[in-house]
Amino acid sequence: MLHLDREDWVKTSDGDSRGYIQPQRLDELWFHTGTNCNLRCPFCLEGSKPGDNRISFLTLEDVRPFITEALELGVKNFSFTGGEPFVNPDMVRILDLALTHRSCMVLSNATEPLMNRINEVLPLINKPNDLSFRVSLDFPNPEKHDEGRGKGNFRRSLNTLGRLHSFGFHVSIARLIANGEDVEAVNREYVPFFESAGLPADLRIVAFPDFFPPDSLPEIPQITENCMTSYLNAEQRDEMMCNFSKMIVKKNDRAGVYACTLVDDDHDYDLADTLKESMEVRVMLKHHRCYSCFAYGASCSEVS
Amino acid sequence: MDELCSVVSLEWRTSKVFELTVERNGVEFTPGDSFAIFAGDGNESRPYSVASGTDEPTLRFLIQQLPDGIVSNYLSELRPGDKIRLSEPFGWFHPGKNTSDEPLVFIATGTGIAPFLSYLRAYPDKGPVVCLYGVRYFEDALDLDFLKSSCDVRLVISREDGHIYHKGRVTDLLPSLDLLAGTHFYLCGLDAMIDDVSAWLEGTGGIDFSHIHREVFFHAPS
Repeated sequence: MLHLDREDWVKTSDGDSRGYIQPQRLDELWFHTGTNCNLRCPFCLEGSKPGDNRISFLTLEDVRPFITEALELGVKNFSFTGGEPFVNPDMVRILDLALTHRSCMVLSNATEPLMNRINEVLPLINKPNDLSFRVSLDFPNPEKHDEGRGKGNFRRSLNTLGRLHSFGFHVSIARLIANGEDVEAVNREYVPFFESAGLPADLRIVAFPDFFPPDSLPEIPQITENCMTSYLNAEQRDEMMCNFSKMIVKKNDRAGVYACTLVDDDHDYDLADTLKESMEVRVMLKHHRCYSCFAYGASCSEVS
Repeated sequence: MDELCSVVSLEWRTSKVFELTVERNGVEFTPGDSFAIFAGDGNESRPYSVASGTDEPTLRFLIQQLPDGIVSNYLSELRPGDKIRLSEPFGWFHPGKNTSDEPLVFIATGTGIAPFLSYLRAYPDKGPVVCLYGVRYFEDALDLDFLKSSCDVRLVISREDGHIYHKGRVTDLLPSLDLLAGTHFYLCGLDAMIDDVSAWLEGTGGIDFSHIHREVFFHAPS
């Protein structure tokens, strides 16, 4: 990896030593199933849309060696994100393999692609490990949600959540945090919708800050080595995703190991061809999304 | 691996729908499978259900030209001999897959008839099949003579008077179906139709949703 000694990788633009995480373990392995999605949401942090193959579909054969290697490294959980994972033709076969070994979580919009394949998905309840779904319901307001995701999709996602829950799958929702909002008050607004779909009122809600679309260059403070010890303690550093997580991303017919789920638009975070090699690489906190993790403790994980 | 296939023909079947026929190159598929078809050398592709039978020498697709459709507009200008890139066949919507002799009901709108045409062409002797087929105008009804000869097709026209067929929506005909035990329902077309039909079948019809198979077109908001 030629960039590892490059000045802008190891130093901030002010010449300070850049903050970094030296990965300690692999608790969680993510797979990027491809940028192809049935929706075209203007705020998508992956920039995914129909027919988008910037990040290719992972196949079962792409995934198999990484699962084997991750098990050797003590992985606890496999997670999947896209695009919409259920647009990927191999998705159910991949889950079938992964669930043989560990619990799995899928981030889905729970609209047509998952609804079309629901009869294929339901038998996965019989696998030896748990399958959970995290579904995006951006706002506790169907009209506002549908403005970004398409007419009728709040109701479709909610219905699919209810169906998955009724069959015994674990479900949670993801939503966006607005500036200055009262988090608990907004969460409470979801309860009537949950109840209408047969979901528990205390369904887990994971709220995220705005990560900006791919290739964005928002102005954010730079994270220096000094910041890592001045503002974070050892426990907080330990909880940063890049300390215990990796993501497999396939571009140009090659599956590589990226540092986390949020940096696949930056080739510098393509750390290695294998998980073992990637664990040796210091993850420099250069990406603008690193600041969200640093400042807000944002994490896509449900492991930690 | 993706295949480079030569275009055999392109025939406009209606003012907005064309049938694209390409060399098969020995590819095996199951009726209901889709292929991702790419626009030129780029990364943009769309999935299209194959409409041809499994014994035919070519692959046929029914493609609706969309006003801002990157892929459909590219494909609409192809000429015989041009090369296009196709993915391997894929899919999970396979009419008749879960049945032996149980009755089948196909419900389609527009080009959503493609997987059912493929099934009926591949298995001409299987049955019985009832097919509810919704179109906006009579000219939009694709391969109607073939459908009439292959199954109990019930055409529904939503925006045109003066035909012997029912005017309205396919959901209007649901109460007329014999909901025989074991029947599997295969739905292909626009999301709104499929949501409505699924809700009726599960609710009023009392059909277990494991017998309702959906293939919804992905229409993304722009």
